[in-house]
Amino acid sequence: MTMADISRRRFVQAMGAVSATSVFALVGCNSQRASEADGGEGDASESGIADTITFAQGADPRGLDPAYVDDGESAKIMCNIYDTLLAYDTETCDIVPGLAELPDVSDDGLTYTFKLHEGVKFHDGTDCNAEAVKKNIDRQLEPNRTEDMPYASFVFGSEASGSGVASVEAVDDTTLVITLRAASTPFIKNMAMALAAPVVAPSAYENGANSIENPIGSGPYKFVSWSKGENVVLEANEDYWNADHMPQTKNVIFRFIAENSSRVTALTNGEVDIIDGIDASVVPTITDAGYELFDEDGMNINYMAFRNDSGAFTDVEARRAFCQAVNVEEMVQSLYGEYAGVATSVMPLWMAPYDEDIKQTAYDPEAAKQTFADLGITSCTMLAYTNPRPYNSIGGQALAEAIQGYLREVGVEMEIVSYDWTTYQTKVETDAFDCCLYGWVGDNGDPDNFMNLLADENVSMNVGRYRSEEYNALIQQGLATEEGDARNDIYKQCEQMVADEMPWMVISHSKNLAGYSPKVQGFFYHPTGVVHMEGVTKTA
Amino acid sequence: MLKYVLKRILLAIPVLLGVSIIVFLIMRVFSADPAPVVLGQHATAEAMEAWRDANGLNDPIVMQYVNFITGALHGDLGESYYTHAAVTDELLSRFPATVELALVAIVIAAVVGVALGVVSATHKNSPIDGLATILALVGVSMPIFWLGVLLIILFAGVLHVLPSSGRIDPLLAPVGGTGLYLLDTLLSGDFEAFADAASHIVLPALALSMYSMAVITRMTRSSMLETLNEDYVRTARAKGLKKRRVDIHHALRNAMLPVTTVIGLQLGSLLGGAMLTETVFAWPGIGKYVVDCILKSDFPVVQGAVLLIAVIFVVINLVVDVIYAYLDPRISYGKEEG
Repeated sequence: MTMADISRRRFVQAMGAVSATSVFALVGCNSQRASEADGGEGDASESGIADTITFAQGADPRGLDPAYVDDGESAKIMCNIYDTLLAYDTETCDIVPGLAELPDVSDDGLTYTFKLHEGVKFHDGTDCNAEAVKKNIDRQLEPNRTEDMPYASFVFGSEASGSGVASVEAVDDTTLVITLRAASTPFIKNMAMALAAPVVAPSAYENGANSIENPIGSGPYKFVSWSKGENVVLEANEDYWNADHMPQTKNVIFRFIAENSSRVTALTNGEVDIIDGIDASVVPTITDAGYELFDEDGMNINYMAFRNDSGAFTDVEARRAFCQAVNVEEMVQSLYGEYAGVATSVMPLWMAPYDEDIKQTAYDPEAAKQTFADLGITSCTMLAYTNPRPYNSIGGQALAEAIQGYLREVGVEMEIVSYDWTTYQTKVETDAFDCCLYGWVGDNGDPDNFMNLLADENVSMNVGRYRSEEYNALIQQGLATEEGDARNDIYKQCEQMVADEMPWMVISHSKNLAGYSPKVQGFFYHPTGVVHMEGVTKTA
Repeated sequence: MLKYVLKRILLAIPVLLGVSIIVFLIMRVFSADPAPVVLGQHATAEAMEAWRDANGLNDPIVMQYVNFITGALHGDLGESYYTHAAVTDELLSRFPATVELALVAIVIAAVVGVALGVVSATHKNSPIDGLATILALVGVSMPIFWLGVLLIILFAGVLHVLPSSGRIDPLLAPVGGTGLYLLDTLLSGDFEAFADAASHIVLPALALSMYSMAVITRMTRSSMLETLNEDYVRTARAKGLKKRRVDIHHALRNAMLPVTTVIGLQLGSLLGGAMLTETVFAWPGIGKYVVDCILKSDFPVVQGAVLLIAVIFVVINLVVDVIYAYLDPRISYGKEEG
């Protein structure tokens, strides 16, 4: 046998292998397409409901233990695996019972007594009782808390702030008592959040178990597998304790498709049933192909913050002139079309304390021009981010350039200094600037979650460095006041102060957009950014 | 030969050290602070500082590098800041996808590229040669991202005959095995899953192979033309051997020497991760993952991945050199060294 013979043989073998692969590929294509032509899912159950629903999102979850993550992609999956002590109503941020009934609250607002449902089990068969809930909270309290628990201090407070959970006691299997350091009305809403609050089985994180990759909850779906970069597979929890929320579909698959247009093609090609994270530019592709569009107001605010402690806009008249120079309504309609609403308040328009009588500074370029001339302001510097954000789908650069155009009309040259989002978060803390773009996605549906930003000592939250003792006092008052008209009035006063003093120029509230197959029923994108899949079905 | 291989392995050590120093410095000097990304929007300045301390980011940079390289030498590349998972696990879980795509792409590129190059050279200046030249030109100049989108639009968006993204139907995915789905499903006899995996890899492999195919075609053509003008080829023809036998047995083998180098280097590039292809087709390989980690300033992952890619390049270069000796008996590294 010569070397030449071997080479030729191998060449022929290689050709054969490629041909075989191609043949199998075509067989694969044909079988798959044939299956879809027969009515979509080949694994349909006898009830006429498909056994599998596939949801495509833009990225992997950061992890699947709610104590260690802060991203929406994780929250969407986790809310189907875990239960929370309390829950949000299906379509609003009103609180309803979860693992526990609504709690008894002591007169001083410090002690919450929760009565848990009896006999609830985690997916591994262990008891989901008061002791398990206590352990889940205790691991996120100081001194057990670690720095990489991003939502622990928000949900459960901290010693330094003098707020949050002081202690947790499991009185018996079904009675849990939580004592707060100070009265806090938003606490009850925190107990329904998809981050930090969900109850993880102790067996998932004790004795070296890895709850981040192998989650165990008590929710309507059980975790099956996570192929990094590809998908997370969940299966129905047939023994789910909550008869009103029994899972209707056998398998739920979350797939990760980063590219916006690829996600849309996957939907219209029948590979997935629901997609989110889309922007307005792909909406016609979805609707023209006969697919459904979900667009409801989101829980967010897109704003521009003035630097209140230094620079060109420390004077309220300078800030007023800036706001007069920009036609916010025209700009929002031009940049976002019908998929964002013009902001007339810090809080989204659908949240309870919203008051339509509170007005932001009206567009008046002539007045702006005169004020800027009087104050001698001819230039300023804006920091901007480049990436699209949940509250600003077109990215910060395009928004900054639009504002720059309006300012030029009134004789002010604005320099834009932009960075990618990661770098930007550091730059707003360290660099000098006159104004900057920012935004916020609400966590728990409570007005404090939005209005507190302007009272926060932390510069990464209060990027404009707004300081007002009067405002801070209102925020403290709101925290300790029971829900109702009196509390709403407090936040209306806060909104009025923002409108009068203009620490921010509020711009828009973005809508939550998702596309889904017309075969899908029961789909709703909750304002908190999660999707509960137990009620979602697909016609086979 | 063994001595040569050992020498090459020793020479790889300074190369890998150099690569690790460069990527370490680039990440530390030019990347954003990872603390805000890792700790999220509620993090206080104190919490961020404590986290930096805990992760050694406030240590002198030389000490940080020494800690990293000491860990790497013990097979510990650290943990991802963002996901807490071991970097080795994160990379290994994605590496089979990259390997599978790269292998299928390089097989397509090599088979089609060599065939086109040979036909083009043996039919010089014919319409076939012209067509091959145009194909090669298109392959080199067409951006993979754009080609990928075109393929998706045509085969998934319009014709609906192939899936646009992913590796396999998640419910058919093989458990365990090598992580190469085509191989695992074939070995387990699950032909439905094999067909599904094959249908998923067609479009990304085609898109990814196009550039390599064009390069291999041009290299094969020019190398074949040079070889066909050699005296021994003329002698073979003068002996009355059939043209096909002379072209394939006498000319092609010698012409394959430079082509082998190109194929090896192309495979090295593809194994390093095809970021654009992986993004467009949602292919869960390391290319896109590493870019995501660069944007999140996830230092341990980026450092580990670049080190892994450097090792792959070094190994592939070594393998190519060894294959040289097999293809050309005149080359003997052992004698040169002796």
